Amino acid sequence: MSAVPEIETASATTASARTTNVMIVGVGGQGVLMISKALALIGQKQGLQVKQSEVHGMAKRGGVVFSHVRFGAEVWSPTICKGEADVLIALEWAEGLRWLEYLRPETGVFIADTRRIVPPFACRSRRRGATMAYARETPAEVIDKVSEGYALDAAAIATGLGESRAGNTVLLGVLSASMGVPVAEWLAVLEMLVPPKSRAINHKAFEAGRAWAEAAHNDSSLRFDAGFAADVTHADLPEVSVRLDINAAWCKGCDICVKLCPERCLALNEYQVAYLTAPQACTGCHVCEWLCPDFAIEVHTTQKVPMTVSE
Amino acid sequence: MNDTLEAPFDVKDYLRLEMMPHFMCPGCGHGIALRCLLWAVHELGIDKDKLAVVCGIGCSGRVGAYIDANTFHTTHGRPLAFATGLKLARPDLTVVVITGDGDCLAIGGNHLIHACRRNLDITCLMLNNEVYAMTGGQVSPTTAIDRLTTTTPHGNAEPTFDACRLADAAGASFVGREVTRQAPALKNVIKAGLAHEGFSFIEVMSDCTEIYGRKNDLGESPEMIMSQKSDMRPEAFGNVADEPFRANRLRAGIIAQRDRPEYGSVYRLRAAAEQAKAKAKS
Repeated sequence: MSAVPEIETASATTASARTTNVMIVGVGGQGVLMISKALALIGQKQGLQVKQSEVHGMAKRGGVVFSHVRFGAEVWSPTICKGEADVLIALEWAEGLRWLEYLRPETGVFIADTRRIVPPFACRSRRRGATMAYARETPAEVIDKVSEGYALDAAAIATGLGESRAGNTVLLGVLSASMGVPVAEWLAVLEMLVPPKSRAINHKAFEAGRAWAEAAHNDSSLRFDAGFAADVTHADLPEVSVRLDINAAWCKGCDICVKLCPERCLALNEYQVAYLTAPQACTGCHVCEWLCPDFAIEVHTTQKVPMTVSE
Repeated sequence: MNDTLEAPFDVKDYLRLEMMPHFMCPGCGHGIALRCLLWAVHELGIDKDKLAVVCGIGCSGRVGAYIDANTFHTTHGRPLAFATGLKLARPDLTVVVITGDGDCLAIGGNHLIHACRRNLDITCLMLNNEVYAMTGGQVSPTTAIDRLTTTTPHGNAEPTFDACRLADAAGASFVGREVTRQAPALKNVIKAGLAHEGFSFIEVMSDCTEIYGRKNDLGESPEMIMSQKSDMRPEAFGNVADEPFRANRLRAGIIAQRDRPEYGSVYRLRAAAEQAKAKAKS
């Protein structure tokens, strides 16, 4: 609690002129910029100078979005140096881990949503049931490393309230419990920012986040998401057995299947006939079957594989 | 996808296995086009006995020979003329014409425009490999500018034909184009063309690796087939006449689809009216 310097009003003449640094990270579409704007407005309402800067270029593609919010009696630089963020809010689990070194080691507060949005490049193995190359750290481990940490499934809380996209407001509620600003002011800011039709849900999400944080302050065992599973897999896609029949008499060795196989698991033998080099790598995507001009390849799968080629 | 295709598609059910492997060169896109046609036929649940495939001359003309259905190998450029007679005499058959770029646009160019105008329920599949491949690689109406062929050793100087624009202007009620690289998409376009009532013109961008690709240094068949994807732009349908044909400006998918009276039904209505008139007179 005490880790975050309480926001002083401009009239306060104490020596706590140090700027408060809040970093908000996530991926495109989660509402990183919305909560950073809310925070900036809160800062302004306290009569403080606020500087906010963001990077959101690749956001549409599920890319990284981060925002630096700094407020204090006088703010010079718009960005936060490594190791100087007082609060790091992560709307996505791996993004939180990625920016962890920006957190002030001795006093920083880490607030993270344990929701995982796996980027496409993490699915290097496209076989069903394959483990994705995604961060394996559990919330308990990470919270152990930082001075003060909270990891919650904010997206699930928001979904429970009826709007999965309100996860950002839940985290804002968690943050608000660590800052000495009255709830009414936060709600007034939210009212300003969100369109009328989503005011009610944001209000509820904010209250839910604040309630969770207040409970977690009292009981440290609540500070991490216990229902967190370490591995991310294609859980909903069952393992499919694939059999590739290559008719050597029909194959003319044109090399199309070899070069166009997404898994690169076909090759030509010394007779210029295609053969499967790694049966375990084959995902049964049917590309070789579709593009074989000589009808030499037949892909048999135990169940229907959804069509994956773009049309 | 409807309920009738519970049975998975096996191309062997539709091939004359005694004639396989087919005569086409390694990496020729015509084989992929043939698979897509048979795949579409399978998904539509068309009976093999009710399918008539009419082919012209050339590499594309030989494609039909491998289909286990009613196939007809006709004279150069005239498959559409034969198909017109066939469809008028036997409206119960699904008539598919497989033709090539030279067969369809040069030798049979006139038949194409009048078939489009007439709008008889025929599906015309033009396999465009940009060259007369069977006869040794002469320049064709769709050969791109500056390409080398046996008759254009210093590069082709003739502007290129955009067959889809031609068919669209001539009145075809369905015009589509797809590359062989996108086999499922090609299957879907052919399926839509077969299901459409009226003249369906589908340009299949195939590739000729042995005669055309090698001469023009376009790489082996995998490189040629991979380059097809970048040749296609959904939005581009501008004037291609003076540009290299495949330079990122071809529109793929269903290009035009319109409702026009189908010639066969119009013809039969008139014939019935005339017969009734004659009967009343006698």
